[in-house]
Amino acid sequence: MSTKHSLTRSVVFLAAMFVMAAASARAADDPAADSASAAKEKELLAVLRSDAPAANKAITCKQLAIYGSSAAVLDLAKLLPDPQLSSWARIALEAIPGAEADEALRNGADSLDGLLLVGTLNSIGVRQDAAAVELLTKRLQDQNAEVASAAAVALGKIGNAAATKSLLEVLASAPAKVRSAVAEGCVLCAEQRLDEGNSAEAMRIYDAVRKAEVPQQRIIEATRGAILARQQDGIPLLLELFESPDKAMFQLALGTAREFPGGEVDQALATALDSAKPDRAALIILAMADRPETVVLPAVLKAAAQGPQPVRVAATTALGRVGDATCLPILLEAALDADAELSQAAKEALAGLPSDKVDAQIVALLDQPAGKSYPLLIALVGQRRIDAVPELLKAAEHSDPAVRSAALTALGETVTIKRLPVLISRVVAPKNAADAEVAQRALRAASVRMPDREACAAELATALATAPAASKTILAEILAEVGGAKALQTLAAAAKSKDPAMQDAGSRLLGKWNSVDAAPVLLDLARSAPEPKYQVRALRGYIGLARKFSMTEPERVAMCQKAFDTASQPAEQKLVLEVLTIHPSAEGLKLAINAIQVPALKSEATQATLVIAQKVGGAGVDVSQLLSKAGLDKVKLEIVKAEYGAGSTFKDVTAVLQKNAGDLPLIALPDTSYNASFGGDPAPGSVKQLKVQYRLDGKDGTATFPENALIVLPKPK
Amino acid sequence: MSRKPPQLQRRRFLKTALSASGAALFAPTIIPSSALGRDGAVAPSERVVIGGIGIGNRGTYDLGCFLEQPDVQFVAVCDVKEARRVAVKNMADTRYGNQSCAMYRDFRELLDRKDIDGVLIATGPNWHATAAMTAAKAGKDMYCEKPVTKNIDQSLILAETMRRTGRVFQAGTQRRNLPHFAFACELARTGKLGKLTKVYAHPAGMQAMMSGWLPAQPEPDPEVVDWNMYLGPAAWRPFNAKLLDGFNFEKGGGMVGGGVLEWGSHCVDLCQWAVGDCPPPVEYNAPKDGQLVARYANGTELIFRETGWIPLGSCPVRFEGETGWVEAGDSGKLVLSSPALLAGRTVAEIGGYPATFHVRDFLDCVKTRSKPKGNADAACNAHIACHAANIALFLDRKVNYDCDKHEFINDAAANRLRSEALREPWRL
Repeated sequence: MSTKHSLTRSVVFLAAMFVMAAASARAADDPAADSASAAKEKELLAVLRSDAPAANKAITCKQLAIYGSSAAVLDLAKLLPDPQLSSWARIALEAIPGAEADEALRNGADSLDGLLLVGTLNSIGVRQDAAAVELLTKRLQDQNAEVASAAAVALGKIGNAAATKSLLEVLASAPAKVRSAVAEGCVLCAEQRLDEGNSAEAMRIYDAVRKAEVPQQRIIEATRGAILARQQDGIPLLLELFESPDKAMFQLALGTAREFPGGEVDQALATALDSAKPDRAALIILAMADRPETVVLPAVLKAAAQGPQPVRVAATTALGRVGDATCLPILLEAALDADAELSQAAKEALAGLPSDKVDAQIVALLDQPAGKSYPLLIALVGQRRIDAVPELLKAAEHSDPAVRSAALTALGETVTIKRLPVLISRVVAPKNAADAEVAQRALRAASVRMPDREACAAELATALATAPAASKTILAEILAEVGGAKALQTLAAAAKSKDPAMQDAGSRLLGKWNSVDAAPVLLDLARSAPEPKYQVRALRGYIGLARKFSMTEPERVAMCQKAFDTASQPAEQKLVLEVLTIHPSAEGLKLAINAIQVPALKSEATQATLVIAQKVGGAGVDVSQLLSKAGLDKVKLEIVKAEYGAGSTFKDVTAVLQKNAGDLPLIALPDTSYNASFGGDPAPGSVKQLKVQYRLDGKDGTATFPENALIVLPKPK
Repeated sequence: MSRKPPQLQRRRFLKTALSASGAALFAPTIIPSSALGRDGAVAPSERVVIGGIGIGNRGTYDLGCFLEQPDVQFVAVCDVKEARRVAVKNMADTRYGNQSCAMYRDFRELLDRKDIDGVLIATGPNWHATAAMTAAKAGKDMYCEKPVTKNIDQSLILAETMRRTGRVFQAGTQRRNLPHFAFACELARTGKLGKLTKVYAHPAGMQAMMSGWLPAQPEPDPEVVDWNMYLGPAAWRPFNAKLLDGFNFEKGGGMVGGGVLEWGSHCVDLCQWAVGDCPPPVEYNAPKDGQLVARYANGTELIFRETGWIPLGSCPVRFEGETGWVEAGDSGKLVLSSPALLAGRTVAEIGGYPATFHVRDFLDCVKTRSKPKGNADAACNAHIACHAANIALFLDRKVNYDCDKHEFINDAAANRLRSEALREPWRL
């Protein structure tokens, strides 16, 4: 049997077995299903008892994990000493409920050694078999550190009083290599006590581990547990960690403080912040801010107002998340600070500061503008989307260009449709030339975010009708960004107007339109735009819609047909063929075949026909008659040899081509990338070729293709 | 046998895309760089020392993000494949202009190094959970590629272990740190769509795949490919070169995750975020007409759907409420039921694909000890949803899941699919 054949068989076998398994488990916990499962179990046990290959026995074990019973345990247990099948057997033994499986694993643990014993002890731990405590306790003394460690962790998973006792007894005396696992087991036991509500016992265990000579990570786990188990009484220990010179312990404090219940710990964090060095203070502030419901805000405010720069920046940033209206003065001051990082942090905090009261205060402050704070407050109105148009309009008349610019930008971020004409007028008739650009940006920002885009487009269209030439194109561009029916209609009219600039702008913007509802408008323009160059532009836009957008295939082919008929140049007709190739269909195939008759398109249309035919034919459509009509009859294609690569490095890809060859002189690979289709790049960084030796209807031929080219095999002479 | 449910905590979300300041504020962190020592020249004491475990294609991408960070020092790589060890060493050494990156075949040796703070785990999915938990117990923080777990029990133990060990865990669910996905999730989570009724995920291949035992081939020199370490926690099978594609190897034991797990660990994860990272659905129906419908306890449906998506790129998600909907995909774009949902911003302002945000989020949390967006609790819930859906798919019938007991209700067959024994000597 060939390797390929046997591979296929194995995979098929596995798949089939699993389908059967799933079917048998179809109606779980129902008596009829139990009976079906029992029957299936018998079949599976027959496999285990036979001389079936190990592969079959392995997958049988997995099925027994789904619905094997105690009846399967003995057969599975026999596999535990088998280095190849032991882990497969444990998959089932871990899953099968009942005392028999526990007993089998315990018996296995009595007789096995080395890695197989480790695996068995691990399974005992997973099953939390309390009857195994004595056995595991003995194994704690095993000379093999891996065995003793596995026993320790298994005891931890069982976690009862007896297991805890065994672990604590050896915590100090176990060999160094085993002690870490013993400590891990102890921590697991303590977690169980804590879950049961026995925090005193949990504390006792955690404290024992903390005092033991074990790796630092175990100390960290025990210390975390010791703090949380003590609840509020754990705060002093937490504070000790904040003072620890050991970075790992300080980090533990940061993490544990975030987990701590109640509000007392927040005061403790504020205390820790008071005495911390700057680098640590910044991190403590971040921990404080992660407790927004109970944070001690005055402590954060104080840190933001004064002190080392990194701490101020951290506190300022934190205020953006946990602050309120009382933080506004400090943040406004910091936003104007000479320190760029502090200033930026404050601006961001101001933009995000929770509370509606903040909005009201900002608007109130706009009434008494002072120096640099004025543009800052205006910017905040925009960023926070505060409704303060009258105040912004007043600011837009200010003598300071920076204030006017901030006001226009904020208007762009906040005006409603009702106030949109305010911005339109600033674009159409700017009071100050220096404001023109920012006004245009503001109008664009406002227009594209309007919920009612038709209403917005109507406003812009009205303005466009009477706007001076200089601003018409700008309004048209904004209209295009807004989109919708009104915008489409307005730009179509512009493209057919007598104004050359509008003809250009209208056809350009429509040619890039990004929704299929522009199709009729573009087709009309393609036929009747005032200039041929705009007709081509519109036609290309129309073809682009057929290429890009989701639609039914008859709709797409109809669009392609209209585009093909409208096109006056082969270039656009070739674009249509591309669309047909990308979206292959039987109707599209007919159109491509017809195109073969156009002399200037013969080569591209033939290629498109072959590609479409292969894709459509692969989907079950009989294309032979159509191809025959086009003089493209089916062929007998044999791939003799194919190599892909560069220089002296070529990879044999014969099998890939043979697999994908059909009854056309064209081969479509699974991916447009040769590298992806051929399983990797044989010559990275080099220009590669595909060389093919083939036989077409009995005649030998050769062909070479550049990387990623379409593989159309010429008819040998 | 029943496992105690972990005390999954709802994370406290940082203020994100829906803050009044909009997308500009969206970043993996609001932490000032000076507080973290990542501005300008980074002092050695402020660097996060990283090692890599199993760095293949995806891992190389991740590693590129790590190497871009000025406060990262990548010092060691472990891979069972010699070619990958050497390639990654070259990448790191080129970055730093030295020859210092150490190479290991056994990741436990790498974890023994006291100078390493965290690890990037980008092995095949077979190893993810086991390597992550081993790393946590060795005192390392970790960025671990997804799918993170092979079954429900592993998901629960992962969350328990990270909490117990106090380690920072970031799943490779980078879309949690992409602004447009975050925005869409926030719309759903904060009621901007009205009462949430349906969340949709794209499984991209909703079928139970098989892993298995292929015909034996001569085993390579362990220096070249260490087959024993490659198998790791997976049940034994002979060497076959076809199994060296870690991506397709042993995603879930005999019943392999397929697209539900491979892509679900991203898009179901986003759906979980949209529903507030609540416990996973309680009901999973058999697939029908290309859809698998699951239902949360509050009635919201999680729908795995192959088709019917707006073309927004791979990994699309859609959230529907009583008053609105939003759909997002990897193109970085959003489509919404109403522009009003943008609250004054534009899609372009919100979108984008800042690839390094997720890595940055992890590194910042290593320093602050906060929880990253792809934390273990979030990953646990999302993976449970995927595994449970996969079990419904495999059994081809409805299953009901008890999120308190973390077991299927009156369903022995489904319950037995919650876990799978690991090959010796590995344990969680």
